[in-house]
Amino acid sequence: MKKMQSSSLRLEQLNKTYDTFQAVTDVNLDIPGGSILTLLGPSGCGKTTILRMIAGFSNVTSGRILVDGTDISGIEPNFRDIGMVFQNYALFPHMTVAKNVAFGLQMRGVSRSEQATAVADALVMVKLSHLADRYPSQLSGGQQQRVALARALIIKPKLLLLDEPLGALDRHLREGLQMELRNLQRELGITTVLVTHDQEEALYLADHLAVMNKGRVEQLDNPLSLYDRPRTEFVARFLGVPNIFDAVVLDSGATGTTISLRGHAITLDRKLGLATGAACKVSVRPSHVELVAADDPRPGLAANVVIGRELGERTAYHLESGGLMIEANASRMRSVERFAEGSAVKLVFDPVHTVVLEA
Amino acid sequence: MERQSNRLAVLLTPALILAIVIVSAYGYFAYSSLFAKGPMGSGFAGTITFENYTRVLASASNRSVLFTTLYASVVMSVLTIAIAVPMAMVIVRAKRQWVANLIMLAIAVTFLSGGVTRAYSWLILLGNKGLFNLALTELGMIERPLKLLYNWLGVGIAIVHYLLPFAVFTLVGAVRNLNPSVEEAARSLGASRSVTFWRVTMPMLLPGLMVTLTLIFSIALASFLFPMLLGGGKVRMIANQIYDRMFVDYDIPYAAATSVVFLVSAFVAIWLMTLLSKQVKRLNER
Repeated sequence: MKKMQSSSLRLEQLNKTYDTFQAVTDVNLDIPGGSILTLLGPSGCGKTTILRMIAGFSNVTSGRILVDGTDISGIEPNFRDIGMVFQNYALFPHMTVAKNVAFGLQMRGVSRSEQATAVADALVMVKLSHLADRYPSQLSGGQQQRVALARALIIKPKLLLLDEPLGALDRHLREGLQMELRNLQRELGITTVLVTHDQEEALYLADHLAVMNKGRVEQLDNPLSLYDRPRTEFVARFLGVPNIFDAVVLDSGATGTTISLRGHAITLDRKLGLATGAACKVSVRPSHVELVAADDPRPGLAANVVIGRELGERTAYHLESGGLMIEANASRMRSVERFAEGSAVKLVFDPVHTVVLEA
Repeated sequence: MERQSNRLAVLLTPALILAIVIVSAYGYFAYSSLFAKGPMGSGFAGTITFENYTRVLASASNRSVLFTTLYASVVMSVLTIAIAVPMAMVIVRAKRQWVANLIMLAIAVTFLSGGVTRAYSWLILLGNKGLFNLALTELGMIERPLKLLYNWLGVGIAIVHYLLPFAVFTLVGAVRNLNPSVEEAARSLGASRSVTFWRVTMPMLLPGLMVTLTLIFSIALASFLFPMLLGGGKVRMIANQIYDRMFVDYDIPYAAATSVVFLVSAFVAIWLMTLLSKQVKRLNER
């Protein structure tokens, strides 16, 4: 298939209310053409509702959905030119693979011969040409999802919507399809919105990642910034940070900020809009907590090893410091000292990756 | 092995006994169709003859009742399905739960009230001075009352109403098994609501639809009460004919022959229906 038009997508003050339940609140997102926006969040956070509003299956309570600057929120789904892929594949069970893929063209009154050519192309694209005459029930989950993808893409949609497209597949298959999906999207240059609750999938596939919580966008950023600099406790926890501690600002300078974690001072090279003496929360990933011997000259937080377990390429430690539970990872590939359970150690926090969260 | 075959015997015996009892009663009745009408007080007598079957098949009025019964049952079943599908859809997919509950309750009430009650309710509603005609006359929409009773219209209304719960209850299950995403996929690919319904929803419902159709068709074929009470002697279905032959003419062999012919035709009709559904399914897949 050739490169497609790259439509831009803009959500303006989008709201959705069911009776008394506010499913989506004041969502504003702006996605340039050709990129992947991923909506990440726990179930019930409103991510699927947003996708369904873009597709036209759910009415907008207020706000606008702009595709290339035109508001589509009042248009029937069959006139939106949007391709959608569902978690449960949603293939037409009474039609063959070829008929499934041809459906969108048939609805557009494309001639039979053109349909046949386009279907053949689409099936080559998803590597399923040999299964054109099978029925969906005769295919594996991964194959069914590729048919669904071909069916959605054949109409050359302005947007591609993916609703947990790989959620029903096993891990191995999922990783393969993620790569395929990524390559296909790049190749076609189609603007894509992906909904998922799997953070790895989100990090792998997103250009823009929006973490959602209770109907609001908690943080929108590129995946790496989001991973490295979560803005709130919710985002940090959802992206798998176990270490979130209460801290106090010791010194708020023009070029740096010093915080105290249980009396251990950490100086960050960032200016934060926090007053000296203010309470805050900090987030540190286990890989950014270094274990050193208790008599190491570097400043650090004294702690005791509660559990230490080898997990393949890393050693995962659970530590305790004055009632505070801390997780730390040490690479097993580099020869670092292995601390026995019960031994006293010192924890050194990487100041670059110690993040002060918004209250 | 020994234990297993013992268990099989224990499990099968009651079923077999039951089956034999049920079939033998009907078998004995069917057997009687091969004899002449006996003297007063006895069922049948004489030697084996096919005379009763010739009587059933040769008479134009007999054939007419048989075909009318089959034809009317098909029409009434299809009408029932046409009403039941949207009802089942509303019950399963209503946004407000109370709407679904209300419809279910209404259907359950009809289902549980006896046939006689319902027949008399229809008499009150559909009579010349019934609620329907009264309302229409009062509103000035008609001059003379419509004839809604003692014809096929009244009987048809009552039978469709009787069939409706069976159809709705079986279809609710079929609709519940539909995956709404499949219909949404069709919409997003450019299909309008009606195209989606005919090209996607109905084909997916078809197996359930055919089961339901066969079920209510067999129930409709056996209609007896409504033609008797609301047909005014003018609407006769096969069960009424069999009844008359048994309890008015006391001609049990003749009644039995009618039943056997009816049973065979009913089986053929149901077989044709199954064949048709397979054909429709194949067309759909093309």
